[in-house]
Amino acid sequence: MLLDAQNVSKAFGDFLAVSGADLSIDEGEIIGLIGPNGAGKSTFFNCLAGDATPTSGKITFAGQEVTNASPETHARLGIGRTFQVPATFEDMTVLDNVMVGAFLRHPHRNEAREHARGIVELTGLNPVAHLRARSLGTPGRKRLEIARVLATNPRLMLLDESLAGLTPTELQEAIRLVRRIHEMGITIVIVEHIMEVIMTLTRRVLVFNQGHVIASGKPEDVVRDETVITAYLGHGHQRRRGDP
Amino acid sequence: MTKPPVVHSKIIVLAACLLLYPLVFSDAFYRDIGVTFLLAAISASAWNIVGGYAGQVSVGHSMFYGIGAYAPLLFYQHFGWPPIAGIPIGIASSIALAVLIGAPTFRLTGHYFSMATIAVAELIRIFTGTWEFAGAAIGLQGPAVARGWWDLTFRGELPYYYIFLGVLAILLYVTYAIEQRRFGYYLRAIKAGERAARSLGAPVRETKIKALVLSATFTSVAGSLYSIKTGFIDPESGFGILVSVQMVIIAALGGAGTLFGPLVGALILIPLQTATNTWFGGSGSGLTYILYGGIIVLIARFEPGGLFELWDRIAPARWKRSHAA
Repeated sequence: MLLDAQNVSKAFGDFLAVSGADLSIDEGEIIGLIGPNGAGKSTFFNCLAGDATPTSGKITFAGQEVTNASPETHARLGIGRTFQVPATFEDMTVLDNVMVGAFLRHPHRNEAREHARGIVELTGLNPVAHLRARSLGTPGRKRLEIARVLATNPRLMLLDESLAGLTPTELQEAIRLVRRIHEMGITIVIVEHIMEVIMTLTRRVLVFNQGHVIASGKPEDVVRDETVITAYLGHGHQRRRGDP
Repeated sequence: MTKPPVVHSKIIVLAACLLLYPLVFSDAFYRDIGVTFLLAAISASAWNIVGGYAGQVSVGHSMFYGIGAYAPLLFYQHFGWPPIAGIPIGIASSIALAVLIGAPTFRLTGHYFSMATIAVAELIRIFTGTWEFAGAAIGLQGPAVARGWWDLTFRGELPYYYIFLGVLAILLYVTYAIEQRRFGYYLRAIKAGERAARSLGAPVRETKIKALVLSATFTSVAGSLYSIKTGFIDPESGFGILVSVQMVIIAALGGAGTLFGPLVGALILIPLQTATNTWFGGSGSGLTYILYGGIIVLIARFEPGGLFELWDRIAPARWKRSHAA
């Protein structure tokens, strides 16, 4: 098992954002986290990335406890994340952004640059490598965030709505990129609202609602789950899929 | 790593201009402006490491400047040591203070960090003003007549000019070396977004403290050079808020977080400041505040990235390429 989150809760004052969530991930899986806005998936996601400390519960990664570890430690251990609102380094070039990630495993500049160049090539950012991040549009920034995390050589990538806001063509390209990353042996957790992404990419889905995990299983089973339909998907989703 | 010839030639031209300036302008007045310019460029470049590259806008850097300024004269006055011996003591004290201040204040971000640095610098200024050992409000004086070269007390401005130029060259080289290393990339990443930098494994607090220590070291040296040259220091000229504000404004005017930004800022501000003081005599010193205020408003409103950013935006593509190279 690569990551094991047991009974994770996170409270902000009296408000319980995540309540007793469990998640076990094996190496090589792609897992989706879905649920309505405010359901607690981003908070849970932040707990996994080390950005938030759980109020209770335990998280281990590759056998090591990381419940209270800093984001830096998470990155060093091999957990990389993207942000819902892209947090690229705006005044730095695309290549320099990726180099910041590459420096984690390659302390020397030339090695980091070589590694970053490879990642830029892989993620299709080569034509804009010399541009400042702020000159990219949202799709470019989201791609850059993925590239930057990839440069840290992660074992687990946490993608926070990295495919949201893309045109259909960009979405297909992004799905291909995520597949390629997965084929490289990287385990992936995706928070996403776009069901097409979840249905296409993931083999297992966790559904959050009001801080609780209300369902988990194969995507095709989860979308038929009455609780999930009521809490999140709505009956319109089933009709669009042509289900009875 | 090799740099394109165009960059080398620019640096050679700049170095030649700075080396020849006091020889071409041999009048004491112009040499004095040259020395003041170099001192301002050193202070602002030192501030630039933490304030510009890491984006941690300290408005209390006078605490390090003042310590550096007081140390040589303090040890001269009480123990008769040559003022130069006080420089390493000033550096060591500034580093200790940087670590002491950095550890708690780097938990604060944005304006809170700036306010905390102002508060500490002001506390030190007020304390020094009442501390008899440091000359209280009157301050301290250096040797009136040099006992030897080691007192660094010269009649003319020329030796000071070249000493200051040497220190500036070292500082710019250190800053350039930082830019090229992982440390420099982490500083810029922290400035752009701490949360994202941490998620990529950048040790944020450690990097900020290292930057503050380096910055404090050179700011302290700048303070020492000032007091050794003028042979006098008091709480206001060492720890006063104007000392800190000048560093911030010079760096911001030229371009905070760029290697030569503080130089450009000093090149504009120092002659301007000298001009207002000359035109209006003693009453011109108050104009410095108005000048600073005006520049802050102009930078904030029109060009937060400073003149380097302006150049980057308006320069023709051909020039931009050679500049960026």
